[in-house]
Amino acid sequence: MSMIQREVAWRLFAEEFNQSTLEISGSEAERTPSYVVTPLGAMVNRVYMVGVLTETENLGTQDDPMWRARVSDPTGTYFVSAGQYQPGAATAISSLEPPAFVAVVGKSSVYRPDDESMFTSLRCECIKVVSEELRDYWILEAARALKTRLEAMEEARKMDNVSVEELTKLGFESDLARGVVKAAEHYDSISLDKYWSMLEDSLMYVLPEYERRTTLEESTDVTEEDNSELEDLILEIIGEMEEELSQDEGVDYGDLMVEVMNRAKISEEEFEEAVKNLRSIGHLYEPDLGSLKRIY
Amino acid sequence: MNKNEELAPHVNDITRALKGKASEEEVERELQEWLEKYRVDLPTAKRSVVNKLGGDPQDLYIRTEKKIGEITGAEKNLEVKVRIVSITEKNIEVDGEPKKIYYGIFGDDTGTIPFTLWEPLTEELEKGDTVHVINAYATTWNDKPQINIGSRGRMKMLEDGDVPEFKRTPQRCNIMDVREGMRDLIITGRILSLENKIIQTENGEKDLCSGIVADPTGKIQFSAWHDFDLKEDQVIEVEGGYIRSWRGVPQLSFDENASVEVLDDSTVPSGADLEEAGMMTISQLARRGGAVDAIIDAVMIDVKSGSGLIFRCPECNRVVQKSACRIHGKVDGEPDLRVKGILDDGTGALTVIITRDETEKILGYDLDKAMQIARDRMDHGIIKDELEDRLIAQPLRLKGNVTCDDYGLMLIASDVQEKKIDMEKEARRLLDEVRI
Repeated sequence: MSMIQREVAWRLFAEEFNQSTLEISGSEAERTPSYVVTPLGAMVNRVYMVGVLTETENLGTQDDPMWRARVSDPTGTYFVSAGQYQPGAATAISSLEPPAFVAVVGKSSVYRPDDESMFTSLRCECIKVVSEELRDYWILEAARALKTRLEAMEEARKMDNVSVEELTKLGFESDLARGVVKAAEHYDSISLDKYWSMLEDSLMYVLPEYERRTTLEESTDVTEEDNSELEDLILEIIGEMEEELSQDEGVDYGDLMVEVMNRAKISEEEFEEAVKNLRSIGHLYEPDLGSLKRIY
Repeated sequence: MNKNEELAPHVNDITRALKGKASEEEVERELQEWLEKYRVDLPTAKRSVVNKLGGDPQDLYIRTEKKIGEITGAEKNLEVKVRIVSITEKNIEVDGEPKKIYYGIFGDDTGTIPFTLWEPLTEELEKGDTVHVINAYATTWNDKPQINIGSRGRMKMLEDGDVPEFKRTPQRCNIMDVREGMRDLIITGRILSLENKIIQTENGEKDLCSGIVADPTGKIQFSAWHDFDLKEDQVIEVEGGYIRSWRGVPQLSFDENASVEVLDDSTVPSGADLEEAGMMTISQLARRGGAVDAIIDAVMIDVKSGSGLIFRCPECNRVVQKSACRIHGKVDGEPDLRVKGILDDGTGALTVIITRDETEKILGYDLDKAMQIARDRMDHGIIKDELEDRLIAQPLRLKGNVTCDDYGLMLIASDVQEKKIDMEKEARRLLDEVRI
């Protein structure tokens, strides 16, 4: 049938979205949309999420704005942008005051600074202040969807040949089955356990008895001792690299990683973890997707 | 149907034309090569295969007597012995001259097929007669074969009338799973609502009993074209129903060829329980192509322009822009309230129309008040802003009919409620499932 299908808005936690390293580029001529394929097989063109707005910033000018916002869910942070082609959303972001619970509808967007890395963000279609209750409701929706994808992924791992037919036979939607097949090909070594515990944590987030525990855990885990040496090194290297750049420019994420890994024997994950931590405690920020700047 | 089954009648044709010069296997292999490797059209492929294997392509067109099930749609000189399942007279105009033609359905023990007789009847024929048709030809329409009887053709009553009737085995089907074009279905369900009316057809007045029937998987609109003495809340089993779509929504029809049995009340859940049966995800609706009385849980993620306080052309009811109707030009538009939005439930998205009554409920005030607010603020857009504020990101439970066309699915909401769930309970339930 030649029915026009609007792309569905996936309920998806930030962590799963941001871990994606596979993009399927569409073509404007053939009117095929682009997708980000997540490690669990969501083929994402559009996202619906509700979280906490933690930062807004205009990286453009008054006349040619490029608003960036960070919206956090229990697992991570969505980077949300709106520029001159999203005038309604840009105006909306400009008028928001963090912290606030917001609902966001956005199109997936990908930035590739080099062949290795890929940064995902949302091009905002709509952003609106909502109640905490709606945030909790969204967490449940996202958790249910995550559970379905995990189940599909586990089934896929049992198969010798992962196919859309076999997965739909088990009752999974064909859209999901297509994504799972692609994810199974592309991401060979991801840990499903990590996502199962992410699912569990996100559900506990909604329950009253866990509220205190999670906040306590977070406050301790931010200042882990054994990473401070690496973090200092990263800050030092950024400082050096920044001297060679103009004032507004950030250091390229990929360049930084190469430099740091040259000097310290660490894995990519350790580097990412350290940068994430430096950002969350406010030593680094991201002036542009894929670049970092030091906050003195 | 798989490819081999589809090709089988053509392989038969060719083997027959070759009069034993080649085996069926050989013919099939050849035919597939012409079709798949050289990708020529089917008639050319058939001629070419006959030629190559040493036959005369003309022999493909020698008079061939066939059963209905064997007809491919490419036969040029066809002979069948069939029973007339239905026959209808139709007056058409050819080159300005009135002409009488007939159309209907033939049947034998292998199936049924539509036919058109392009010439006047030479003798009175009616439903149930068995006929011998010669010099007919077959064509395809919508990929299905049909028989044409033109000026060379003949249709003669068969004296012995020895054509067995086609017995299809009826298929049991859940209401959720019905699709356009299905026939000979067995549907069991409870009649939720019922309406008797008299409608005009080509053959005069006809009684029509229509309503909604539901089983635990879903609901469907039905039309009974024969008096089965149906009553509301009855549990019925319809054998021999068929599915037609109206505006993309599948509907169940059954006529005097069907049988209806009233079953014990306990066979199907009560009417109140079945109300929930309309509960569907948007991806289910997309697969099925719409539904009657569906219930959808979804979030409103966009409120489109053309929502809020709008003005309609008094002539044609179209929404006017800048007090001009697309068809009738400058008009004095009549005010109305509505919402045109996008609902998304994570499995799919659809367009929703919320009409005035429900929109007034959402706003908490009526059209007059909306007009007054808009006048006071000197801004018609204020009502849309208010609707956006109330609806976007709001989980809703909506009820209504969902139609399906080239522009996708559209729900005309007859009821809109904010969805309330016990979040703690749901979180614990999910957590229990995850921790197993």
